[in-house]
Amino acid sequence: MTPLSAVGLETFYGKSHVLHGVSIEVREGEIVALLGRNGAGKTTTLRSIMGLTPPREGSVRAFGQLVTGLPPFRVAALGVGYVPEGRKIFGNLTVDENLRAPADRPGPWTLARAYQAFPRLAERKANKGSQLSGGEQEMLAIARALLLNPKVLILDEPSQGLAPLIVEEVFRIVRRVREEGASVLLVEQNVRAAVALADRAYVLDDGKVIYEGAAKDFAADEARVRELAGASAETWDLGD
Amino acid sequence: MIQLVLFGVFNGLIVGAFYALMAIGLSLILNLSGVINFAHGGFLALGGYLAYSLAPTIGFWGALLIAPLITAAIGLLVERLLVRPLYGRDPLYSLLLTFGLAFIFQDGLRTIWGAQSVPFSPPAAMMSPLSAQLFFLTGYRLFMMALVAIAVGGLFYVLGWTRLGLRIRAGTRDLETLSTLGVDVRVLRNLNFGLGIYLAGLAGVLAAGQLGLSPTMGDGLIMPSFVSIIVGGLGSLVGTLLGGLLIGVASGLAAVFFPSAQEAVIYVMMVAVLLARPRGLLGEEGRVH
Ligand SMILES: Nc1ncnc2c1ncn2[C@@H]1O[C@H](COP(=O)(O)OP(=O)(O)OP(=O)(O)O)[C@@H](O)[C@H]1O
Ligand SMILES: [Mg+2]
Repeated sequence: MTPLSAVGLETFYGKSHVLHGVSIEVREGEIVALLGRNGAGKTTTLRSIMGLTPPREGSVRAFGQLVTGLPPFRVAALGVGYVPEGRKIFGNLTVDENLRAPADRPGPWTLARAYQAFPRLAERKANKGSQLSGGEQEMLAIARALLLNPKVLILDEPSQGLAPLIVEEVFRIVRRVREEGASVLLVEQNVRAAVALADRAYVLDDGKVIYEGAAKDFAADEARVRELAGASAETWDLGD
Repeated sequence: MIQLVLFGVFNGLIVGAFYALMAIGLSLILNLSGVINFAHGGFLALGGYLAYSLAPTIGFWGALLIAPLITAAIGLLVERLLVRPLYGRDPLYSLLLTFGLAFIFQDGLRTIWGAQSVPFSPPAAMMSPLSAQLFFLTGYRLFMMALVAIAVGGLFYVLGWTRLGLRIRAGTRDLETLSTLGVDVRVLRNLNFGLGIYLAGLAGVLAAGQLGLSPTMGDGLIMPSFVSIIVGGLGSLVGTLLGGLLIGVASGLAAVFFPSAQEAVIYVMMVAVLLARPRGLLGEEGRVH
């Protein structure tokens, strides 16, 4: 069963029309990179899939089930994990409480295993989320999403604002998640690293899919890579 | 003199405990759902009247146990059927709804139980003073304080140490993210509303034993409860508790020494606290609703 497939998404924020017929698919066991400049509509695509900003037209399926218009917790309950842009950890909760917030779904991830996989979080267990560094917060956001035992994990710019060493760590975790059988949909500004990791890539521009194909074909197209990587490098510091 | 001060302080603590019970319930609902529940006083009165009707059959203690639970169940229903459809809309809608509900409660109570206030008595043994010196200390009043302490302690336990509680706290910050973690935030808001209404119902039963019952008995409590929230600082339940006790004591002392200022002193305190600390006693920085 295809983990995720979105077809013909037309998504609006009020009157402003942001997605124009976006279709993307994540197949079983794949890492898919979703790329594009700032404001291209990457986050909006993810929000449309999760049911946070339901599309006005088009359909979203998770593991074959139609989820368009369903509330986010129902999408999540099917096994769709989500690490939002900007991490969105609960700053008023301790690390431990953050990790106990997700719903229980059967699977390999337990609190004990999460602390094993993220020893830094075990050390900071009793600290408030707001006291963590950016890297620790990202680890917490990922661990929190994994505790839902997702069969497909969506990550929105997990490396944003992080030191290179921590970015490597994030990418290592993404690889591990896939090795354990889950699929991954990864939004990244870090174009070269993302296409090196991914099986397939989509490029969004102005709310439309302008490229879709094997990640290694995209990586080989130096002109395309430089255009996109250059564009995002310029705005790297601006963030959101 | 000392006795008079003690008298004022103790009376103030009793009133303050009611403010705090009301205000904590209001805060819970406001923090998670963004709804200002003007019908809170109506739920309080409902709790009192239910206890009044139940007591002849199940006794005072039974009524004390059951009436707040029935009130909470009605709260769950009201949230589910009337409040839930308004989430995500202009806050004005829910404001109008709860404002209207407050009137419906009052008229409903009046229709069922009559407009006259009716007496409601705890066991007689609890009502006599414990000593001549401390004439204002009755078993019932001490019991009331203890029960309020237990209720508030129980609530803080739920919020601080259970999974439901941590999700409520998470939801007050970021309901959207909580929802992406598979948590049904509609159920969460429903339970949280019920929790707040339970406290109102409990306050109603206790207040009925102390002051008697009338359909408008909640009216005198709702404004001071809002003041408690503001004095304590938006978003902090401990602050709300402190705020309630503080303005209760202030009005208790005023009742002894400056009876005419008994009500005004509450608002004077609010202004004083806000001037010294714009976000209230324990309010978090940069949190504006
Ligand atoms: N809440 C919102 N209300 C109105 N417009 C929005 C909102 N969020 C995003 N937009 C607009 O929608 C468009 C797509 O935004 P989106 O956040 O999906 O882009 P993105 O590809 O994720 O960009 P970034 O790389 O900066 O995260 C942008 O033009 C943005 O200004
Ligand atoms: Mg984005």
